[in-house]
Amino acid sequence: MSQYLVYLPVVFLAATSILLLMSRNWRVCVLALAVQYLAAFWLVALIWPVGLAAVKLVAGWMAGSLIGAAQPEDELVDEHFKGWAGRALRLIAALVILLVAYTLVPAVQEWIPGSAAIVWGGILLIGMGVLQLGMTTLTLRVFFGLLTIVTGFEILYAVVEYSVLVTGILAFINLGLALVCAYLLASPTMQEET
Amino acid sequence: MISAAVLWIALPLVVAVLLWVLQSRRIFTLISASVMSLLLALLAWILPIDNAIKLGPLSVEVSSTATILGRNFVLTSADSHLLLLIFLLGGIFFLSGLLLRANRFFAPLGIAMIALLVAALAVEPFLFSALLIEMAVLVSVPLLSPPGHPVSKGVLRYLIFQTLAMPFILFAGWVFGGVAINPADTQLLVQSVVLLGFGFAFWLAVFPLYTWIPLLAEEVSPFTAGFVLSLLPTVILFLMLQFFNGFPWLWQYPVLRTALRLVGVLMAATGGAWAIFERNLNRLMGYAVIIENGYALLALSLGDANGLNLFAMMFLPRLAALLLWSGALTVLSGGGSLTFAETGALLRRKPFASVSLLVAVFSMGGLPLLAGMPARLALLQSLSEVSFSNVLWAALGSVGLLFGGGRILSYMVLGEGGGQIEEGWVQRIVLSGGAVFLLLAGVFPGWFLPLMSPLLAAFERLR
Repeated sequence: MSQYLVYLPVVFLAATSILLLMSRNWRVCVLALAVQYLAAFWLVALIWPVGLAAVKLVAGWMAGSLIGAAQPEDELVDEHFKGWAGRALRLIAALVILLVAYTLVPAVQEWIPGSAAIVWGGILLIGMGVLQLGMTTLTLRVFFGLLTIVTGFEILYAVVEYSVLVTGILAFINLGLALVCAYLLASPTMQEET
Repeated sequence: MISAAVLWIALPLVVAVLLWVLQSRRIFTLISASVMSLLLALLAWILPIDNAIKLGPLSVEVSSTATILGRNFVLTSADSHLLLLIFLLGGIFFLSGLLLRANRFFAPLGIAMIALLVAALAVEPFLFSALLIEMAVLVSVPLLSPPGHPVSKGVLRYLIFQTLAMPFILFAGWVFGGVAINPADTQLLVQSVVLLGFGFAFWLAVFPLYTWIPLLAEEVSPFTAGFVLSLLPTVILFLMLQFFNGFPWLWQYPVLRTALRLVGVLMAATGGAWAIFERNLNRLMGYAVIIENGYALLALSLGDANGLNLFAMMFLPRLAALLLWSGALTVLSGGGSLTFAETGALLRRKPFASVSLLVAVFSMGGLPLLAGMPARLALLQSLSEVSFSNVLWAALGSVGLLFGGGRILSYMVLGEGGGQIEEGWVQRIVLSGGAVFLLLAGVFPGWFLPLMSPLLAAFERLR
C-alpha cells in the first residue's frame, strides 16, 4: 500500500498543474499553486529532513499569498485559446505532457538517481510549466508557469544536491518571482512619475 | 583589513537599499549611484588586492576572499580590470541617466544589479552564479517595466528565458562535480557540456533563443534596455570565460570550438539578415547586440591567445557604441520606440543625436575609421584561416547593420520637415563626445583597444 502512497503527491501535482492550466479564476489558480507546493514538499520530504523540505512549502505558500495580495484581474482568459475548444486543447496537451513525463521517467532515472515518483513529479511539473508558458501571454499565467517549472526543477534537484544555502536561495528566488509578479500586476495602474 | 567582496558587492548593495528608500529624489539617487560606481571603479584601478598599503600610520589591506555562509566570494587583483570596466560602465550610465531622465528605479535597481552580477563573477563554487544572475534578472524587471506602463511581452520573455537558464547551469554544476571525480567517463563529459551549453544559450540569447532581445529593445525605454543589454551579456561572457578557465579540459574539448563557431556565425548572420529588413531603430539596437554576442563567441571559437585578445578588445567599441546608441535614441524618441519613417525631420531638429546615432550604428556595423572596425576586421581575418565560408556568413552581421545604418541615413536626409534645434548644450556636448570617441578609437585603435587586454589577466590558463 505504502509503495502506491508515494504516487499520491504525483496525482496531486498532475491535478493542480492541469487546474492551473485550465482555470480562469485566479483564486482557484492560487489555491492550486498552494496544493502544488504541498505535494512538492511531500515528495522532497521523502528524501530530505522534513524541516528542510518545509522551507519549500513555506516559500511556496508565501509566493502564492504575495500573488493573491496583488489582486489580479478576475478572469484569466487568453486571447488565443478561448472557448471550449481552447480548454479542450489545453486538456489534451496536458494529458500528452503527463504521458511524455511518464515515459521519460526510466531514462531520467539513469541520470538522476531518484525514485520513480520523485522523478515523475519533477518532469511533470517542468513539462506543465513549459506548456503553460507556451500557451499564454497573460502576466499571471506566465508566472504560474515559471513557478511550476522552478518547483519541478527543485524536486529533481533535491535528489542530487542537499545544501541548506541552495535551498534558501531557491526559496528566495521563488519569493522574488512572486514579488515581481505582484509588481507587474500592479505597475500598470500605479502612478506614472512626472 | 577589509574584504574585496565587502567593497565591491556588499557596499553597493547597501547603497542600493538606501537609494531605494530615497527613490523619489531621482536626481540625488542618480548622482549618488554614479559617484559610488565611479569611486568603486577608481578603487578597482588603484587599490591592490592582497597587498597592504600604508596610509601614514595606518595599514590597509584588501583581502581577496570573503566567506559568507560557507561559500567563498573571491575577487583577486586579476579581476581588478573587470571590476573597473563594470563599475565604470555603471557610473557612465548613471551619469547619462541624469541627462536622459532615467526612471526613479534606475539608480537603486541598477546598482543592485551591478552588485549581484559582480557577486556572480566572484562566487565559488560556480553553480551559485546561476542563482545570483537570476536574482540580478529579477531585480532588473522593475527597472525595465516602470510604474504606469503596461507590462511588455519583451520583459516577460526576457524573464522566462533567463529563468530557464538557471536549472541547466545548476545541473551542469552537479554533473561537473561528477566529471571531476571520474574524468574518464565520456558520457558524463558530454552531459555536462550539453547542460552547460543550454544554460549559456539561454543566458546569452543564442540563436534561436534571442527573440526577446529585439522585443525588449522595442517595448521598453531604449536607455534602460541599453543598460541591461550592455551589462548582462558582458558579465555572462566573462562568466563563461571564467568557467573555461576553471575547467581547462573543457577549453581543449574539440567539439566546443566548432559549436562556438557555428553558434557565433548563426547569431551574426541571422541578426544581420533581420537587421536588413528592420524598420525600427530600437529593434535594430537589439539585433546589434545579438550580432555582437555572435562575434564575441566567434572570437572565443578561435581558441588561442589571438582570439582571446580580440574577444577583450571588442568590448570597448561594443559598450561605447551601445551607450551612445541608447542615449541618442532616448533623445530622438523621447524614451519610446522610433521607426525609420519617423526620423525624417529629426536630422534638422536634433542633429547631434541623429549624427551620434548614425556613428554608433555604423561603428557597430564595422565601418572603416570607426571604433568597431579594427577588431572586427582582425576577427574575420583570423576566422578566414579556419573557414572562409564562415567569414562570409559572419560578415552578413556587419553588412546588415551597415545596410540598416544606410537606410536610417536616407530617411533622415530625404525626410521632410524641420524646425529649430531642440537639443540642450549639455546633450550636444555629451553626444558629440561619444561620437568623437568612437571616431578616435577607429582612427587610432592602437591607443584604445589594448586598454582592454588586462581584462584577460584572470584567465591565465586559457592563454
